[in-house]
Amino acid sequence: MAPKNTLLHGTLEVLILKTVSQAPRHGYAIARLLEERTGEAIQVEEGSLYPALYRMEQKGLLASKWGRSELDRRAKFYGLTRKGRARLSEEVEAWTAFSQAVSLILAG
Amino acid sequence: MISAEIVKLSRRTLARVFKTPVAAEVKEELDFHIEKQTREYQATGMSRDEARRVAEARFGNLSKVVSDLEKIGKRRDEVMARREWWGESRRDVRYALRQLRRSPGFAVVAVLTLALGIGANTAVFSVINGVLLKPLPYEAPEELVSVTSAFPTMDFDRFWISPPEYFELREWNQVFADIGGYRTGTTSIETNDRPLRVPSAVASWSFFPTMGVSAELGRTFSEEEDLPGATPVALISDGLWRRAFGQDTEVIGQTVRINGVASTIVGVMPPGFDVEDAGVDVWRPLNIDPNDHVNRRGNHFLNLVARLDDGVSLERAQADLDRLEVRWEEEFQGTHTPSSEFHPFRATDFRTDVLGDVRPAMMLLLGAVVFVLLIACANVANLLLARSERRSKEVAVRVAMGAGQARLVRQLLTEGMTLALLGGALGLALGHFALQGLLRVNPDGVPRVAEIGLDGTVVLFTGGVAIITGLLFGLAPLINTTMAKVGNTLKEGGSRTTRSSAGQRARRMLVVAEVALAVVLLTGSGLMLRSMATLQDVDLGFQAENLLTMEVSLPAADYPTPVDVGAFFTTALERIRALPGVVSATAMSGLPPLRTLDANDTEFEDMEPTEEGPPHNVDYWTSIDADYAETMGIRILEGRGFELADALAETPVMLVNERLARTFYPGQTPLGRRIRPGPSWFTVIGIVADMKQAGVNREAGTELFFYSPQLNRTDGFAYRTQNFMIRTERNPLGLAEPVRRLLGDIDAALPISDVQTMEQNLATSLAQPRFMTLLLSLFAAVALLLAAIGTYGVMSYSVVERKREIGIRMAMGADSSSVLGMVLKQGAVLAGLGLVIGVAGAFGLTRFLTAQLYEVGTTDPGAFVLAPLFLALVATAACYLPARRATRVDPVSALREE
Repeated sequence: MAPKNTLLHGTLEVLILKTVSQAPRHGYAIARLLEERTGEAIQVEEGSLYPALYRMEQKGLLASKWGRSELDRRAKFYGLTRKGRARLSEEVEAWTAFSQAVSLILAG
Repeated sequence: MISAEIVKLSRRTLARVFKTPVAAEVKEELDFHIEKQTREYQATGMSRDEARRVAEARFGNLSKVVSDLEKIGKRRDEVMARREWWGESRRDVRYALRQLRRSPGFAVVAVLTLALGIGANTAVFSVINGVLLKPLPYEAPEELVSVTSAFPTMDFDRFWISPPEYFELREWNQVFADIGGYRTGTTSIETNDRPLRVPSAVASWSFFPTMGVSAELGRTFSEEEDLPGATPVALISDGLWRRAFGQDTEVIGQTVRINGVASTIVGVMPPGFDVEDAGVDVWRPLNIDPNDHVNRRGNHFLNLVARLDDGVSLERAQADLDRLEVRWEEEFQGTHTPSSEFHPFRATDFRTDVLGDVRPAMMLLLGAVVFVLLIACANVANLLLARSERRSKEVAVRVAMGAGQARLVRQLLTEGMTLALLGGALGLALGHFALQGLLRVNPDGVPRVAEIGLDGTVVLFTGGVAIITGLLFGLAPLINTTMAKVGNTLKEGGSRTTRSSAGQRARRMLVVAEVALAVVLLTGSGLMLRSMATLQDVDLGFQAENLLTMEVSLPAADYPTPVDVGAFFTTALERIRALPGVVSATAMSGLPPLRTLDANDTEFEDMEPTEEGPPHNVDYWTSIDADYAETMGIRILEGRGFELADALAETPVMLVNERLARTFYPGQTPLGRRIRPGPSWFTVIGIVADMKQAGVNREAGTELFFYSPQLNRTDGFAYRTQNFMIRTERNPLGLAEPVRRLLGDIDAALPISDVQTMEQNLATSLAQPRFMTLLLSLFAAVALLLAAIGTYGVMSYSVVERKREIGIRMAMGADSSSVLGMVLKQGAVLAGLGLVIGVAGAFGLTRFLTAQLYEVGTTDPGAFVLAPLFLALVATAACYLPARRATRVDPVSALREE
């Protein structure tokens, strides 16, 4: 199990972008999704999640909207903006290229 | 798309309504997360409290996280709000541009109109900025004072200072921190390539510290170098250093021949340092003994500049001068002693002196510019009002859709600003080119020409004007909308109902105002044009056509005696006369029509100076050579002119001009009488018709003429600086090179300067009134154009409005000529009113032009009749097209139209 705090600066952003890419989600859902999908390999610190979300909204990568939640009270949903979507595909490309390069070295 | 807009609108509205602070949002968001987490834990069997505790613990230091988020959240909101504001502005601008593209006619006319008005503004402000506002190239020029003297009994209101007076003033005054003196002139300097003749000045060593300027390279004069007999030194200007010395830093210490004398260059002055706009290239010291209080008391040639001591006012300085006049009177006796009655001293603000009488002219220009700008603004306001009425329906719909008042105001302001900024940018460019054109055509029109140009201040000024205009115009449509009830517009959906009569009246008043302003400008311009025409036709006292002139100055080192000087001119003139294309040639000290005043004391035989009589002082002493009459076309009125025989005659002879004859020999003839300018008595043998010497637009002064060939023989005196006057068959400048070469053959080191035709010289002397006339006429033309456009615009709109009425009339049997008449009548009423007001205004305002007009009254009927007439013609033309369009109205469709 990967220890906490090994998330490189900026990786959290990409992961968040991906998690909201299909539909807007609130903060709790984002955290849980990340844990589920990675089989708990990545555990997001709640203390760093929300600052990241706020900053991403400031940068224009996410757009937030208050909406009705499954708890019958208001929750803030974060969705991808056009800028965010573009950033996501950039990062995916970069990450893919990077990991391929690393794999080549490690394999050879 | 609409739904997204509405969602965004409602979110913002809600947010504004509830004004949820960041803290509350953060709390709500985290509360949700923690609650969800708590329920998860509860599902695994934990108690609610335990679950909640663990959930909160997952945040670490929860309160710190909350306060951090509040900070981050605030910053986020700020950044996003700003981004949104910019986004909205960009959208507004794009919308505004789209609107303008949809009505290109309106856009072009509006932008051009603004550009014309703002462009005129820019050009004139550049001039005013360069001439009046830019600081002079001296330290604290507001502390500087010009000290001048006067001889009121001799009608000399403003005179120079003599060296002993200057030194005594330095010693005795109690109000000045320092005083310096200077006198401008020309000199020759031999550089590496060739001898140059340049504007020069002699200045006391104290002049530079007084002005607060030190040398850029090297130093200025020391006190010892200013004494008579000191080793000759000189300062050169930055311009000369670049032009003739290649910016070589080794120039300090170099010896060059200045006026034939070997002088050492001790310093280079900083760029822009100058006096009297003369372009001084060489400065030399005065070389006068400060302890000599006896000699040269009457030799007044110095301009004095003094710096006031700390806290001393101009009035106190004047009081000190008054005190000194008394002291002078007590210590010295003599005709030239300073005294309050005969030879007073005056202190005036230096800056006012430098700018001379240009300031009122500048103010006049400013007035004209304000007029033109007002007309332009009136036009654009008209256009916008008309347009806003057509758009008021659209505006009303937007208001109903929930666009807040503030948002709407912003949108309209942006539209106005976009228009104004476009017009301003174009206006800046127009103004720049107009200015360049003006300065190229008339470079000597104003002082400090070198400092006139588009600079930061001008751009800022233009920008400011454009922005204010934009703001005002942007709001115009909104005012119109709020005046017309929005609801009504929507319900009735008609284009006629919102047409408030107030709007109509406003537009009509604007046209009347425009026409009036244009009339005033046209009248002023007409007066100036007439004045210029009069000046062109003035009798100069000589023939100016086909006359080539050039100045030479013979240095004492190369031509020590007057005989040498005379020999040079005789030889030179002989050879010049032999050149093909030359009709005749002569030489003359002084160059009409604008010469420096001599004002020399002269004795008249059998005449004692009296209290009421004229002072025995002649304004101009002129020395002329053989063939002057045919060369210059001077008229001899009585007696005879000089003849070759006079050169060898024993009795010195002299000519006088009409003015001198009238002044000193009223009712008698001066012929045969004798006058003594220097050691010898001269007999008057003829009277010459007055030649202009004080400027084309001033009366001639008193003048006497020596015969150069005779003068150097009898009096042992010769004028070293003279002007060759060469009359040619045609194209005088074509002979410039041949004459130069000829003179070079006689003396290769002799510099020649001011090679020009007399007509060019005349043009320079008329430069200032020409400049003003040009500018004023330009404004009048612009005003005329704008008034025409404005009239056309309003009449067009009026026709559109009255379409229904016209349709009815036509249906009732009115024919096209009566419809034409109806529209023209409406236009005539407006224009007529404007003309009447304009003429009345012109009567009152042209008074300000008095200083500029030459022999033309400020209520000259010619201008006052022609200007309104011309405008009436233009206005009629402007009304004609819309009137014709009115006759084409199809009554059926007009009646059906709603």
